[in-house]
Amino acid sequence: MPAMSEKKIRPEDDGRDFASAAWSIPSYLLSGMILYGGAGWLLSKWTGVVAFTPIGLILGVALSVYLVYRKYGR
Amino acid sequence: MSTLTLLAPGDEFTPPGLELFDAAPIISGVAWFTKPVLLALLSTIIVIGFCWSAFGSPKLVPRGVQNIGEIGYMFVRDQVARPFLGKDADRWMGLLLSMFFMVWVWNLMGVIPVVQFPVASHIAFPIVLALSVYILKIYLGVKHQGALGYFKNMMFPPGLPKPIYVLLAPIEFLSNMIIAPFTHAVRLFANMFAGHIILAFFSLVGFWFLFEKLTPLGAPLGVIGVIMTIAMTGFEMFIQFLQAFLFAMLAAMYIGNSLHADH
Amino acid sequence: MAMGILAEVTGSLGSIGYGLAAIGPGIGVGIIFGQGVQAIARQPEAYGLIRQNMLLGFVLTEALALIGLVAPFMFGQ
Repeated sequence: MPAMSEKKIRPEDDGRDFASAAWSIPSYLLSGMILYGGAGWLLSKWTGVVAFTPIGLILGVALSVYLVYRKYGR
Repeated sequence: MSTLTLLAPGDEFTPPGLELFDAAPIISGVAWFTKPVLLALLSTIIVIGFCWSAFGSPKLVPRGVQNIGEIGYMFVRDQVARPFLGKDADRWMGLLLSMFFMVWVWNLMGVIPVVQFPVASHIAFPIVLALSVYILKIYLGVKHQGALGYFKNMMFPPGLPKPIYVLLAPIEFLSNMIIAPFTHAVRLFANMFAGHIILAFFSLVGFWFLFEKLTPLGAPLGVIGVIMTIAMTGFEMFIQFLQAFLFAMLAAMYIGNSLHADH
Repeated sequence: MAMGILAEVTGSLGSIGYGLAAIGPGIGVGIIFGQGVQAIARQPEAYGLIRQNMLLGFVLTEALALIGLVAPFMFGQ
């Protein structure tokens, strides 16, 4: 898949790509945090070890940043 | 002014809270007909009346209201519809134009002098609009890309290494299906809610320190309150326009993403 | 000698925490997009490259703001 800087984008498509990227980035971050943070929270309630919640949250942030990097940054 | 009768007994300035948004029924028997409902009905009549008088009998050389109507139409077509919908833009202009104007008139109700209640600050109104766009998005996606194809294109964008898909597909699904409509509604609601509280707060500061309890030390604070109210009203009018534009633009983006999947 | 409390913050500490946490990312996002727009103005043909890097910088900065949002829940009551 060509990098975002190399694709030939027609001027009328360009605003759309930038706007969809800009609006989906916070949404990906939030959903990664909620999904893996929630899984970590459920796990910590089930096992009693309190540390799983922040581990899940940070893992969610890292995965979302990686997703955005692969999708929009390469 | 009803909040002032609530704080008349006290001697101290108490800032306005959630009681600003309580809505009592206007006709005593009918519990659901409150001020926000009346304002929403009024906005509908205003938008229909404006569009009818502008586009009802259009002439090649526009006269009168048609000029303003054309400015509004071209703004929505060039900034909202065409970037996201491309060739299909004209089919969706009816929906996007109505949505933009209605949300803008809803928001403007917050700064019109006697009325002063932004309709979108009751969360039901943005939720209904965002939910209808959400249902439309899913329906169009399933119709144009097939039920399985729609979810496959959404959750598995091409170009990622295979093992990562297991971890990333749920994030994509959650983001598009749950977070997107939620933020679509809440963005409009939170901006109007916060703006209304800010305006009420500064107006109350001005009124309290200048009219209720006029003291030599408190009067400058009241003057600051009045100046801030004027400044924040100007800022709020800009935010109202921007939020209406963003709501329509995101609706166009979601519809456009359903019609053609992103490659 | 008994030590009394000199000052106390009551109420919602989470909202104070988020308010302070949003200062940094707010400034950061402003700098990213401000410099990005300036760069596009200087060299419009590099637009694709600039846009790509702008979005990358934005996502990393925004992550900090969102972590600040959930920090009250992370670090427990």
